[in-house]
Amino acid sequence: MNYQFDFHFLTGNFGALWEGLKVTLQLALVSNVVGLILGFGLCLLTLNRWFFIRWPAQLFIEFFRCTPALLQIVWFFYCLPMLFNVFIDPITMGVLALGLNLTAFNAEAYRAGVQAVPREHLDACVALGLRPWQRTLYVILPQALRTALPVLMTNGISILQQSALVAIVAVADLMYVGKSIATEAYRPLETYSLIALIYFALSLPIAQLVQWLERRQDTALAR
Amino acid sequence: MTAPLLVAAQPQASFVPDSAGGDFIQLRDVYKSYGEGLVVMDHLNLDMRADDRLVIIGPSGSGKSSLLRVMMGLESIQGGTISFQGKSYIDGNARNHGKPLDVRLQTQVGMVFQHYTLFPHLSVLSNLILAPMKVHGLSKVQATEKARLFLARLGLESKLNAYPSQLSGGQKQRVAIARALMLEPKLMLFDEVTSALDPEMVTEVQNVMMQLAEEKMAMIIVTHDMHFARNIASRVVFCANGKVVEQGPPAQIFTQPKEPRTREFLEKVLHLD
Ligand SMILES: Nc1ncnc2c1ncn2[C@@H]1O[C@H](COP(=O)(O)OP(=O)(O)O)[C@@H](O)[C@H]1O
Ligand SMILES: [Mg+2]
Repeated sequence: MNYQFDFHFLTGNFGALWEGLKVTLQLALVSNVVGLILGFGLCLLTLNRWFFIRWPAQLFIEFFRCTPALLQIVWFFYCLPMLFNVFIDPITMGVLALGLNLTAFNAEAYRAGVQAVPREHLDACVALGLRPWQRTLYVILPQALRTALPVLMTNGISILQQSALVAIVAVADLMYVGKSIATEAYRPLETYSLIALIYFALSLPIAQLVQWLERRQDTALAR
Repeated sequence: MTAPLLVAAQPQASFVPDSAGGDFIQLRDVYKSYGEGLVVMDHLNLDMRADDRLVIIGPSGSGKSSLLRVMMGLESIQGGTISFQGKSYIDGNARNHGKPLDVRLQTQVGMVFQHYTLFPHLSVLSNLILAPMKVHGLSKVQATEKARLFLARLGLESKLNAYPSQLSGGQKQRVAIARALMLEPKLMLFDEVTSALDPEMVTEVQNVMMQLAEEKMAMIIVTHDMHFARNIASRVVFCANGKVVEQGPPAQIFTQPKEPRTREFLEKVLHLD
């Protein structure tokens, strides 16, 4: 290979890249806030004893799990405005699509956490005279959160990667900016490599943290 | 040696050594089944005095755990009645489907399980003070003070801030006993609490239970350890097929069982030892 790498052209584009990065971070962070909060609410709905509450909640989850994320984003951008005759700004729309997608996946993570609480602990709560809401608040929730945390964080990173999909509907995120620069400068190799490096650098520390947490939980369980 | 007391003041019972009766707990005609076929309490009658230490023995699957779980309010009964301290406690025909009628009475029952049930996200201290604070309304200071006392009596003061994962199995079960005692129960239920333990840790847990026995705690104990049963029991109850087959003082049950089924069972389990 005798391709001559040249990164000089990028110096003039740092501003644009920075703007794109800010949009990406905004998408990822707000989606995570949405997903962490709504996900827990949704998890409680799927564990509800009434079928007519459980069922729609489960359907919501399956819808997001069983369709491509790219399609979900496109649908939110083109179909939602047509259906409801509303126009929402692109970033909010992106947050909505990504956030609800994450909500569905996080609900499953929370649910696995709740179900991992040993049955005997629930019995012990009764033996100690704790009321059902006290049991949920002081015993189930903290244990469930612990179990779910690594998965929630992994989902969080994955939504950062998925956020690149909004470039397809012209939201000016990091991916979109990168694509424009690459075509303008005819330098796809350098540009896309740099973009990849940025996503990588953002995700790696969190991924490492997840591994560390999982190792710690494993040793705690082994004892 | 006068060990400090683990047990708050217990009702004093008139002691009648050989009687099987007692009005501390009375099960009358109690019926419980799981689904259609599986009857685990078949019109069961059982009495207990306030200073009784009942040891329930019987084949696996004979409903020993079910009996304890019913007393704790973890399972319901479908017929019969149970009274506790002279008050109606559970009624199989009541509208609440055979669960405890009186929450106050229910909190006077404590239970320790075979599996470890210390909450792993809480320190030993937090495990001990959670229910006293949330259920009995003790302040954190009061509850902590009390927890220190109980742990000291069990020789576990140094573990106050430890987490359950840092304790041995024997220590976990002792803390679990302390956690139940924090609520000052009038009756303690023990369901095979040493079955999951390594052999060298069994004694430390059994010693705590013996200490409770000396302090006249009313206890219903399910165990497969016949040696321990003989030491701790004031009365041994042999159950099979949802009925009490035979009961009596340990010396009698273990040396001269009257019923052939009791003899058969004991021969089997004692040979295994
Ligand atoms: N929640 C339950 N649902 C259905 N069957 C049960 C349940 N709990 C216990 N059983 C069955 O009831 C019988 C008695 O169980 P158990 O009370 O645990 O007996 P033991 O403690 O004497 O071994 C067993 O056959 C057991 O499988
Ligand atoms: Mg059992």
